[in-house]
Amino acid sequence: MADAIRTEGLTKDYGESRGLFDLGLEVGAGEIFGYLGPNGAGKTTTIRLLMDMIRPSGGRAEVFGVDCQSHPVEVKRLVGYLPGEMPQWGGLRGRDVVAYVGGLRGHIDPGRVSGLAERLDLDLGRRYREYSSGNKRKLGLLLAFMHPSRLLVLDEPTSGLDPLMQQEFYRLVEEARGEGTTVFLSSHVLSEVERVCERVGILRRGRLVQVARLDELHHLRYHRLEADFVGEVPVDAVRALPGVEQVTVEDHHLSCAVRGGFGPLLQVLGKGQVLNLVTHEPTLEEVFLAYFRDEQEKAPVAPGAAS
Amino acid sequence: MTATAPASDTSVPLMAAGGERGGVRTMVRYALRTHRWAFAAVAFIGFVGPYSTGASYAKLAATAAARASFGRQTTALGPQLAYLVPLPLRPDTVAGYLWWKGLTWMPLVVAVWGLAAATGLIRNEEERGLMETWLATPFSRVRLLLSRVGAFAIAVLGAVVITAIGTAAGIAAGKATVTFPALVEQGVSVLGMALACLGIGLAAAQLASTRRSALALGGVVMLALYALDALARVNPGLDGWAAISPFHLADLTTAVVPGGHFAGAATLALYGIAVVLIALSALGFQRRDLLASLLRRRTGEARVVRSASTVPLLRIPVLRSLWQQRIGLAGWVIGSVAGAAFIVSIARGTGKLLKSAGGFKNYVAAAGTSSAATAVVTSVWLSIAAVIVAAYAITQTSHWASEDAGGRLEMEIAQPIARWRVVAERAVALVVAAVVMAAVGSVVTAAIAPSQGVHLDTGGLVTATALLALLALTFGAVGALVISRLPRVAVPVLAVVAVAGFYIPLFAPLFTWPSWVLNLSLFHLYGAPLTTGVYWTGLWVMLAIVVLGFGGATAAMRVREVGS
Repeated sequence: MADAIRTEGLTKDYGESRGLFDLGLEVGAGEIFGYLGPNGAGKTTTIRLLMDMIRPSGGRAEVFGVDCQSHPVEVKRLVGYLPGEMPQWGGLRGRDVVAYVGGLRGHIDPGRVSGLAERLDLDLGRRYREYSSGNKRKLGLLLAFMHPSRLLVLDEPTSGLDPLMQQEFYRLVEEARGEGTTVFLSSHVLSEVERVCERVGILRRGRLVQVARLDELHHLRYHRLEADFVGEVPVDAVRALPGVEQVTVEDHHLSCAVRGGFGPLLQVLGKGQVLNLVTHEPTLEEVFLAYFRDEQEKAPVAPGAAS
Repeated sequence: MTATAPASDTSVPLMAAGGERGGVRTMVRYALRTHRWAFAAVAFIGFVGPYSTGASYAKLAATAAARASFGRQTTALGPQLAYLVPLPLRPDTVAGYLWWKGLTWMPLVVAVWGLAAATGLIRNEEERGLMETWLATPFSRVRLLLSRVGAFAIAVLGAVVITAIGTAAGIAAGKATVTFPALVEQGVSVLGMALACLGIGLAAAQLASTRRSALALGGVVMLALYALDALARVNPGLDGWAAISPFHLADLTTAVVPGGHFAGAATLALYGIAVVLIALSALGFQRRDLLASLLRRRTGEARVVRSASTVPLLRIPVLRSLWQQRIGLAGWVIGSVAGAAFIVSIARGTGKLLKSAGGFKNYVAAAGTSSAATAVVTSVWLSIAAVIVAAYAITQTSHWASEDAGGRLEMEIAQPIARWRVVAERAVALVVAAVVMAAVGSVVTAAIAPSQGVHLDTGGLVTATALLALLALTFGAVGALVISRLPRVAVPVLAVVAVAGFYIPLFAPLFTWPSWVLNLSLFHLYGAPLTTGVYWTGLWVMLAIVVLGFGGATAAMRVREVGS
């Protein structure tokens, strides 16, 4: 059976080192694949190349063995698509947009539309311009999920959704996988990809730097911890702990990066008098910087080897 | 920063250039930039209209006797056109004729500009989310609105100056002179008119909740005021009421006409209307929510809809496009019907005058008929219908460009449809709409014409109607080709094609241009099918433009990048 997505040397060169370069990627049928990268890394460029919105400077892309550039209509029959930015539908009501896009596709199942609108809590009777950004995103999701497709291509699908709706979206993705649908979703939030994906591809500055199963990415995972002490900071004990890095102390303020569990660190911190304790997930760019600091010698994966 | 920090401490780029004054300058510059195309169009019309009128007058009425005769005929013709323009004053002089034919349109032109600017600048910026950005800076709503008014006034003033230069040049071409104060007085009146209409538009923009509804509301008010002025011209009993119409107040200044005068009180009233409406608009803008009407009422719980629309037209190619613009299309059809009904209803009276006036006999003869009334219908109405369908095609091009820029095209071609179908569907929808507009206008013409003693050839009327659709398609083809490469300039390019097409046939005889230059005008290519039959060269050229334009647009659509 053909891969759901296969690209070979796919390149879109916008000049000045901007674009996508030499992408070799294989996404298996029925897989949920996360496509990670900071803003401007080339995620949307990849998706637009797959959808034949833009033309490659080199290389090729296939969806279920169908060439994206020479047979785009056949590809789109197989795909449900959520663009990164929703189009301007102006004064059309949500129900009109659904009927219009459904008409372009040929047929939609009214029951499926109603079910999705119910689950996403979306009022299709309102005008598009009256929708909040979250509701516009919900409409986009409804349009992507409303017809049976073999592949869902979703560009930053949870952007603008509240946490409850994000959960509903994750359930929709799980159900789609249960029906055998492949899901290719882009994101710049590591935790979101961890929540739903089986494998991830990491893109940086237009190049695929890693493709791995989720459990193989744990070495990327870390948290930042900030703590304020009333008295002295037990800095030596902290520095001696395995998995604790980038330790800095300023007056009575401790800052460090923690890989793995917090248990040993909390035990050490408990020896001092902690006034305030905060942890936060680093941005993807910070993760990459940490990763590349560790792996300075490591070159980007060779084309074709990233599957 | 503390809560008591002064506003000037919160430095933002908008204000950083030079405090509040720098911010105002930035806002005015931004607003001026948005007026550049409208300024170019109005300045062009303002210069070319008066100049061509003066130059043509010099040729038509070269001697004193000819001028006297021409004046008599124009005076006789005036009442027939009183619904459209004021009665002529001293048409036996170049300045009088130039005012009547070249300048009495200016209030209408600047009124449209004022309305479009008022609803476009404020409401459009709200709908695009720009207003939130402006208001997130330390810049009050009143100041923002006034910066828009200031920019509009500067742009109109520039256009008025160019119109004054065109007027002086036109009068000079007719071997006469006009005083500088007279030009200033005329210009001051036009500027007041523009600001009054801007005020009407701004007030409408506070009362409506969307740009389109503001445009519609302002348009209805403006149309009513225009109609009031027109009715007052033929019914002196309405003169008192007409005083509330800015069109009437602007008509009263005739400073460039020999013996004319500057209506100081009327002009002051124009500025008064502007000041009051702009002040009320500023108050309204301060009180209302963004993206909402000042009159917004709380609505009850609406029923939540979870299903797709059941309108079958939304699922049928071509009809789905027409359904989405049904209200706008209805407006175009009504405009077409109103135009046809008006022209045909004045055909007999105008025709009699044309026949009795020696200078206009050639005009009737050129229309290829012995019936002057028929000449009015066949020449005047079809010329107006051609302009209407061309304007419609330009609005469609604008619609296509905004669809492409707004992401709709991306969503459409993300569905399993070939790209060429997008272009084909646009072309067919344009033709269908143009046929509907032209056909309804023609049916009304054919229905009313017998009551005016005008008998039209049915076959000729059908041909003329079909050619109107071809004319619309020709404009659309040029637009489709341009938006496939340069979507942002498509509408300005088409506007230039339309305006040039309108003026080339006027200038060609004046400057004895060769006949091929005439064929550069799409309106000339349309010809006068009801009077002189099909202009075959024009027909073939239009067909070639359609094939090349939509063919090129289709080829470009196949390879163009969408959403990049």
